Amino acid sequence: MPYFDYKTWIPRIVIGVLIAIFVILPVFTTSVITLSIFISSGIWTIAVMGFTLVLRTGQFSMGQAAFMALGAYASAILTVNLGMPFWPSFLLSGIISGIIALIIGLIVLRVGGIYFSIITLAFGELVRIFAQEAEGITRGVRGIIPPTPPTISLLGFDINFAAGNPVPYYYFMIILVAITAIIFWRIEHSRIGGTFASLALNQTLAEHQGIHLMKYRVIAFTIAGVFTGFAGAFYANFLSIITPFMFGLWQSIQIMMMSVVGGISSIVGGALIGATILYTLGIYLSRLPIYNIQYVVFGTVVVLVLLFLPKGTGLVDLWGKFWRKVFREPDEYEIPEESEMAVE
Amino acid sequence: MPPAEILIDGLVQSCIYITMAFGMVLVFSILGILNWTHGQFYMLGAFVVYYSITAAGIPFPLSLLISGIIIGALGMLVERFVIERLNAPGYGMMYVSVATLALIFFFEGAAGMAFGLMDKGLATVLPGVLNLGSFSVSYQKIAVIIFTLVVMIIMYVVLNRTKVGLAIRAAAQESVAASLYGISVKRVSLLVMGIGCALAAMAGAIMAPVYTINPFMGRIPMIFSLLAIIIGGLGSLTGAIVGGIILGFLNSVIAYYVSYLSEFVLFMLVIIILLVRPQGLFGAPIK
Repeated sequence: MPYFDYKTWIPRIVIGVLIAIFVILPVFTTSVITLSIFISSGIWTIAVMGFTLVLRTGQFSMGQAAFMALGAYASAILTVNLGMPFWPSFLLSGIISGIIALIIGLIVLRVGGIYFSIITLAFGELVRIFAQEAEGITRGVRGIIPPTPPTISLLGFDINFAAGNPVPYYYFMIILVAITAIIFWRIEHSRIGGTFASLALNQTLAEHQGIHLMKYRVIAFTIAGVFTGFAGAFYANFLSIITPFMFGLWQSIQIMMMSVVGGISSIVGGALIGATILYTLGIYLSRLPIYNIQYVVFGTVVVLVLLFLPKGTGLVDLWGKFWRKVFREPDEYEIPEESEMAVE
Repeated sequence: MPPAEILIDGLVQSCIYITMAFGMVLVFSILGILNWTHGQFYMLGAFVVYYSITAAGIPFPLSLLISGIIIGALGMLVERFVIERLNAPGYGMMYVSVATLALIFFFEGAAGMAFGLMDKGLATVLPGVLNLGSFSVSYQKIAVIIFTLVVMIIMYVVLNRTKVGLAIRAAAQESVAASLYGISVKRVSLLVMGIGCALAAMAGAIMAPVYTINPFMGRIPMIFSLLAIIIGGLGSLTGAIVGGIILGFLNSVIAYYVSYLSEFVLFMLVIIILLVRPQGLFGAPIK
């Protein structure tokens, strides 16, 4: 009888069931509101995964939403102004956003740390201002209305991306998130993921081991740019409008918060949990009759999560903790009390 | 050459950025973090002065001090309960940044709930204009400039001539060594956060009669004072003054010629300065 370790398999089965529920969700409800919340959460999840990947190399970018804007505008301009069909332009949007991320990364990643954050912040604002002022290309604050994707005939079914029918968008989102998650999962658990972690942990040591800092930072930033671009293009097509204010500094900050609240110890899991919980919470609270309460609760929740989870881990670490509790296993690590010895 | 009113406006803007940048520089040099909530303390300071004048009838200079004290205490609370816990060893610097960014939403939402989202004006505090021949300056703007000069002088005296200032400078230079010599870095951090937030609040309070007051007024001054200390160099007070003056004048002068270009030019300038000289104009080189 082959060895069957229930302690690893039960959590996996639970995750599998959760994924299956999400995949067949449109069977239970085709409500536009519910599905829209999940579609938007999925889109933010992709952006958050990109952010977390950059964070894994020890840099935090405060202009991640700018790449969503680049992807969205690239796709919309290609279809509306240049008359390209939808699918090629969607693919090109991620590539264009990735190329811009590559160029920016090559120039900017020389300066690390907080300076990188400030430069990306300024870059994000530049993109927003450009989208606002270059009326000839982007129609300024009036925004571009991207055309709906064409109907696809597949196995006798017509997949119709008409407005008011969120189900095709939902499955498109599931496929996009799944592809991104698999790629980021592979990156995280491969040699290159280990290299990224070594950059974040000890930059000097990594450099002395013969790791080319710039090369790996630029790789992470470019991959993040590609997928964030896809997320932006999809978001614009889902909402069927792009304005310069959709992807500003505050959206970058939102991405950052989702990443940190979800937890950065797992790129895929943390992004999924953080984006879904924070986005759903924000939408739910904005429906309450008390005006402005969503900002207060949002800020409070983020601060409380940061304060009360051990040593700045996110919500995703509760998953492992939960199963260790269930199986009555000792915690993997004890937080040493010596580290409390702050400089008084 | 743009008209004198534009230059005066640039000077007033520079003054506000300088006052706010002082607080950010102090907090950065002691705690090693950027306090992203700084603009919200500016906004809260303006609200405190608005209500203490309209509701309680306290005269303007006194309400200025009151707003500084109240918001300074609030800043100390934030330092004690949020920043200090997240700035401990074992956390990355990012956690503090995200926490202060989250506090932006908290304070703006709370201010919106408590005071409403409507613009409020406080026009009759210092009425009248000073006529200077070809142009005139309102007394309110002169008050802003004088206030900033006073703040600069007080900061210089406190930092260079008192024991507290010596402790702050020592803690900024080498916190471990300072704590070996009996300086409580914890208390210095608390004090510095209080001073920084009080400065931001008073900047908001002195600007309240010039601009309108609403819960979102803190965002732009926060970004601009951040850019000012980046241009001047993180951790350098001289740099904060120079950066603030560059930003204030460039912003109003460029906006006078080509209105939409001003933000574009400023952000480009910041990117270029950071790429050419990442430590800023007056900062120490990065190790």
